[in-house]
Amino acid sequence: MNRVGNLLRTTLGNALPAIVFGALFLGFWEWAVRFFELKPYFLTAPSAIWEQFTTNFSLIRGAATVSGTNALIGLLAGTVLGVAMSFVLSRFGFLNQLITPLAVALNAVPIFVLVAVLNNMYSITSEIPRRIMVALVVYFIVLVNVARGLTQVSPTHVELMRSYAASDVAILRKVRIPNAIPFLFVSLKIAAPAAVITAFVSEYFGGSQNGLGSRISSNIANSKNAAAWAYVLAACLLGLLFYLFSVVMESLNRKGEAK
Amino acid sequence: MSAVSIRNASKVFNQGKSNQVDALRDVSLDVKPGEFVSLIGPSGCGKSTLLRLIANLLEPTNGDVVVNDKPAVQARLDQDYGMAFQQAGLFEWRTVRKNIELPLELKGWDKNARTLRANEMLQLVQLPEFGDHYPWQLSGGMQQRIAIARALAAHPPLLLMDEPFGALDEMTREYMQGELLRICAATGTTVVFVTHSIPEAVYLSNRVVVMSPRPGRITKVVDVSLGGERNEDTRNRTAFFEAITAVREGLRGMHAAHVGLGNDDR
Amino acid sequence: MFVAALALVVVIWETYKALGPADGGTLLGVRILPRTSEYAMPHVWDMFSRFNRPEVRGSDRSVFDAVLAGAWYSFRLSAAGFVMGGVVGVGLAVLMARFKLVQRGVLPYLVVSQTVPLIALAPLVVSWGGKLEVGPFVWPRWLSASVLGAFLAFFPIAVGTLRGLAAASASSVELMQSYAASWTKTLFKLRFPTAVPYMVPAFRLGASASVIGVVVAEISTGLRGGIGRLIIEYAREATGDPAKVYTAIFGAAALGLTMAGVVIAVDVFVMRNRPKESVS
Repeated sequence: MNRVGNLLRTTLGNALPAIVFGALFLGFWEWAVRFFELKPYFLTAPSAIWEQFTTNFSLIRGAATVSGTNALIGLLAGTVLGVAMSFVLSRFGFLNQLITPLAVALNAVPIFVLVAVLNNMYSITSEIPRRIMVALVVYFIVLVNVARGLTQVSPTHVELMRSYAASDVAILRKVRIPNAIPFLFVSLKIAAPAAVITAFVSEYFGGSQNGLGSRISSNIANSKNAAAWAYVLAACLLGLLFYLFSVVMESLNRKGEAK
Repeated sequence: MSAVSIRNASKVFNQGKSNQVDALRDVSLDVKPGEFVSLIGPSGCGKSTLLRLIANLLEPTNGDVVVNDKPAVQARLDQDYGMAFQQAGLFEWRTVRKNIELPLELKGWDKNARTLRANEMLQLVQLPEFGDHYPWQLSGGMQQRIAIARALAAHPPLLLMDEPFGALDEMTREYMQGELLRICAATGTTVVFVTHSIPEAVYLSNRVVVMSPRPGRITKVVDVSLGGERNEDTRNRTAFFEAITAVREGLRGMHAAHVGLGNDDR
Repeated sequence: MFVAALALVVVIWETYKALGPADGGTLLGVRILPRTSEYAMPHVWDMFSRFNRPEVRGSDRSVFDAVLAGAWYSFRLSAAGFVMGGVVGVGLAVLMARFKLVQRGVLPYLVVSQTVPLIALAPLVVSWGGKLEVGPFVWPRWLSASVLGAFLAFFPIAVGTLRGLAAASASSVELMQSYAASWTKTLFKLRFPTAVPYMVPAFRLGASASVIGVVVAEISTGLRGGIGRLIIEYAREATGDPAKVYTAIFGAAALGLTMAGVVIAVDVFVMRNRPKESVS
């Protein structure tokens, strides 16, 4: 009982400065808007944002669902394709040489601009271009990480398996795949937020106007800044949700491992 | 007049909490100027803690530490000692020469004086051609020699060493022991040296201080009567083996009483 | 190898174009296959030849010049954002290293912020353009794009720099203590040099983040002069001129690669005397 109490106290103690800082920040924001009489087009008070958030909640939820679905579908598709391709990559080492520099270069490039051409390939009301974009971004993240997990195994382990005259498939199953699983979850922690961000940014390129990104733009165009901020809040929550999901997946995986 | 004088020093970590550790209890030691003293003992006996009390990197819970006739804190502020660790700890982004110059920079020496002194120290440790190399280009033994050069760069009267040869192989270790003695004889430095190795302690020292854990204290001080001179034959002399035996007995005496020792030395 | 990879992409593109249905198609009942007609999917060589021809019917400026000008404009905004974000990021990291309380209060938000689409703020920040006044200074619209770039860049830079500052070995810190060196001296002589291998990947992330921030800002508001706006404009004209939008995309890619190249060049210079190991 004492140990639980201690654990609670230390966690709270560790989190306390962050909580205090957050509260102070919000408090200062609220005060500054009122005191300086800041125009809404510059900064909106947290209280006004919250009010808009709760008032428009069903609309916001609808938009979030659209963006979130795009992100989720893209995340799943990209992960599946990425994992599949990584097996191919680990089998044919020379492909690795081919794909890795491409992936590295793509990291530096604002790849989401491809949505502009994807939009032209599909009808204007389709959500598919966004999903493809998310899948593409996720694909490269997952591919690079899982391929690394499959290939960067401890040489000692491989030597051991060879001394058992194990076939390549057996080595794959018993050494490479277990080694790669943590890499998969690490890549998910990067890919999940990236999926939300990509789904989001893709909406600025035109096409269907049902997602969070389009709502933010349209609200600003109509000078409804507080509402825009409310949608921003929703976007952040969505991103956080995806990240937490990937963290939970990772910790579930770790439950089975030795500490 | 002592180079180092420790009076009834104690050090307790985590006082009052469930993980309280009595690292040192009631330790007294006098080190004469120019003397070479080794601290030896099993893990947890407090030898590294004692060294850090002298260095004023830790404060004693009780008792006094006097270095160079000043309180330890003043001795540190006045830079009266140099220190060397098991990892040579050279800064990988600086050349060898600039590594040696580090304490001199902090003391505010001007550029020419620093370069002069650094070159002098490179000569002393017999690595004059390596001034412009980078530490990772040198072997472990060479890096330790540079670390010693750095520790002595400001010509402090006292040198504190925490298992500096622990990471080296046996042959390099014996070579470095000879080098260390040569360098200290040339500079007249007092040395307090922490080690795990009995032969090393006996070879290097005038006196070997045997410590025991829980709580950390001094159990025995062995006078090594090998005279001032050390050479290759020293390790074959009877007096050498006798001193080793004396130290080993001092260690064994309390080792039997402490089975299952901890890992940390503090 | 890199060239071979690009060649592979081209081959896949052209193969699909040759084989795929002209009006798009369905796969497993979902209308997922893209159209392969001339308008939706131009040939790769058309894309390149488009660079040379005039931007608009009757204008002297070639597409190449237009794209180059746009990319250069965005590059300068990204660079400005990167520098601002870098200065703030490093400064905050030093503050957090010095004051544990600040670190405990702020770091969790920095870490979380990397998972959250901060880019959502883009339209808001850009809307300050032309409307915000501080004394005689009127907020120019381009500054919003740079600020957004800075905002996105500063988070990974701060986190990476802090990690690096904390990475000095315990015995090196003890060494500096034994020299009675002040915290500031220890910062400049020990912690910053130790931090450099950690700052290098952080700055690379920051560079690409600032490009993303700038391009998104340009796109969400059609900021005149930048490559983002060009992409949107050319995309709208794609029914009549399908290859043009690809030229702008190549321009955006070149922008990202140049920014990365500059940062990598600085990295190589800064790490030139270090042993060849990497820090993940």
